[in-house]
Amino acid sequence: MAQSTTLDEPIGGLMEGVTDSLNSDLVQSRATGEPEWLRNRRLDAWASYERTPMPTTRLEEWRYTDLSRKLSLDALTPMEWSERAFDRESAPARMAEAMEADHESSGHVVEIDGTVAHVDLDADLAAKGVVLTSLRSAVEDHPELLEEYLATRALPADRGKFQALNAALWTDGIFLHVPRGVRLEHPVRVTRWLSEEGKALFSRTLIVAAEASQVSYVDEILSDDMEVQSLVSSAVEVFAGNGAQVQYVSLQRLGHGPFHLSQQRTIAGKDATLDTLNVNMGATTARLDLNAQLLGSGANSDMLGLCFGEGDQHFDHNTSQDHVAPHAYSDLLYKGALDGRARSVFRGIIKVHKGAQQTDAYQTNRNLLLSEEARADSLPNLEIEADDVRCSHGATVGQLDQDHLFYLMSRGLSRTEAERLVVIGFLGEVLSKLPLGGVVEKISRAVEAKLNV
Amino acid sequence: MSDTPILSIRDVHAKVADEDTEILHGVDLELGKGEIHAIMGPNGSGKSTLAKILAGHPGYEVTAGSITYKGEDILEAEPDERSKAGIFLAFQYPVEIPGVSIANFLRTALQSREEEGGELDLFDFQDELLARMELLGMDASFAERPVNDGFSGGEKKRNEILQMAMLRPELALMDETDSGLDIDALQVVADGVNKLHQENPDMTVLIITHYQRLLNYLKPHFVHVMVKGKLVRSGGPEVAEELEARGYEEFKTVEA
Ligand SMILES: Nc1ncnc2c1ncn2[C@@H]1O[C@H](COP(=O)(O)OP(=O)(O)OP(=O)(O)O)[C@@H](O)[C@H]1O
Ligand SMILES: [Mg+2]
Repeated sequence: MAQSTTLDEPIGGLMEGVTDSLNSDLVQSRATGEPEWLRNRRLDAWASYERTPMPTTRLEEWRYTDLSRKLSLDALTPMEWSERAFDRESAPARMAEAMEADHESSGHVVEIDGTVAHVDLDADLAAKGVVLTSLRSAVEDHPELLEEYLATRALPADRGKFQALNAALWTDGIFLHVPRGVRLEHPVRVTRWLSEEGKALFSRTLIVAAEASQVSYVDEILSDDMEVQSLVSSAVEVFAGNGAQVQYVSLQRLGHGPFHLSQQRTIAGKDATLDTLNVNMGATTARLDLNAQLLGSGANSDMLGLCFGEGDQHFDHNTSQDHVAPHAYSDLLYKGALDGRARSVFRGIIKVHKGAQQTDAYQTNRNLLLSEEARADSLPNLEIEADDVRCSHGATVGQLDQDHLFYLMSRGLSRTEAERLVVIGFLGEVLSKLPLGGVVEKISRAVEAKLNV
Repeated sequence: MSDTPILSIRDVHAKVADEDTEILHGVDLELGKGEIHAIMGPNGSGKSTLAKILAGHPGYEVTAGSITYKGEDILEAEPDERSKAGIFLAFQYPVEIPGVSIANFLRTALQSREEEGGELDLFDFQDELLARMELLGMDASFAERPVNDGFSGGEKKRNEILQMAMLRPELALMDETDSGLDIDALQVVADGVNKLHQENPDMTVLIITHYQRLLNYLKPHFVHVMVKGKLVRSGGPEVAEELEARGYEEFKTVEA
């Protein structure tokens, strides 16, 4: 790729994506008053951001998502951290409804516009040393853990344009630490709300589950519909120590308008189980980058995903099953149902490193098109450097055909009811593998709501 | 047969919606309330096409003629409206619906029959479902299996009749329900249908079949022969016996 140099291009950097409001002044101001290690991490991240070109469709990983058309960084102003109170009574309807459905939890966090506004944690768990807090307070209260884990081992800033941007500009987020051997009976539930349009919001999640601990975590993000685009950047780092059992669930139910960018890295230690479920229902464009690293031998990862798109929604899933250690197992199942002119992309790679003998790794992507104009692209991939492995991948794209609809309607179901039944049945396979309380109901209702529009 | 017929088909011509070739070339048929009729005929003669048209399949277009059900023209009605009005089609080739259990499917179907705002009583539903499954010799665990997904041919047909028993139609169209059933299953299913007919003697049944066997159990009042998109002969049960003995040869030469 030829690069023409102009006089006003700064030395050593392309500066792509640096705007009037997303610039080094902003990084400086975010770093003010922070401990040195963190300030340096931000500044390094920003330098990396400036150096890295904006991804284009010429890159395989961005081939189907044209950022130059889908994202207008120039039009965005950064969401600032600000002291907030959360009052359940006056919560927006969509948010209240989502929280209503959250029965049985070990703890709850509410984040509003990139600022944690409320945290509660079961007192017994707190007494056992469980930490659930905002990332900002964790910087003060648990500096050693943060320095060890934040934006360095899982999502280091120099591994991608947007990874760098988030590491440089995050305002707040959630930190969960589960000490050795502690098991949480109920999920930790997080409700994140975006209220403003035209904003760029950067938030991070850091989950550290120590040896033999157990936790499930449901991370829900919501907003109302918006006329003007907002960018929501979520960076999620999950560590499961040896023998730990961790489930991370992301429910993306943003309204129409926002661009959601979710970058996730999970790292599973020896004999650990680290499962993920990514649900994409909302946003105008949603991009997921998920790298599941099986770092310890005998590690296990189920990677589940589902999306349901309508209108002009665009979902891009980019996954990697990264087998470093031998005797590990990963099984990915992503399903997408698409109506209207919605579009989904699935690009998944199973990467088996040299020493990772006796790997079991599977990958399945299935899509159901409900309309003529919907489209699904599926690009499964294998990269295997070990010789004693079991791997498979498969992808299908099917159409909800006239005969299916006729069969259901001939029993008295309306077209909408018939579609709902088929879609829920199709996506239900994914949900049945991770039946967390409240999650299935929320997704069913979200599907219904979308079919009724 | 003094009442107005429940179904009256007049000179119906039909074709596949986006093609030109005509499949039905002028079908006339009247079904009186509570009667049992059978249509027999060679492969490809248009029997399933007729059944699907009656249930409102959007893939076919009626180009001439009329179909009235209970005195009303139903050609414009959607399949779900026809179902709610009491028409039921047991499919020759039932469709698989992965991930949707039979119980859930039937609950949704019955719920959609409730008046606006009405709620299906779930306990009654459960009792009724179990009773109907027993009637048809089906194990209770069947209700939790996804509709037709991985079912054997016989299981699919039994499931069609289970749906019919639950939805209690006034006009039941049974398209080759007997094919794929073993002799014992055929007997169970036929007994089930007879039971439904006893429960509701006003239920009208149109059986499409290739075999006399089913008709020995479900005694039709009238038998019709369809060849090349037309009904070429109508009569009493003896017609089926003649066909069993002589086949369709004599009709095939008839002008289509
Ligand atoms: N959707 C379609 N597209 C094209 N041709 C069709 C379609 N449906 C029916 N046909 C044709 O119409 C004719 C009648 O088909 P139909 O299925 O009604 O026959 P049938 O009498 O039910 O046969 P069988 O006894 O084998 O079930 C056949 O030639 C068939 O190929
Ligand atoms: Mg047929």
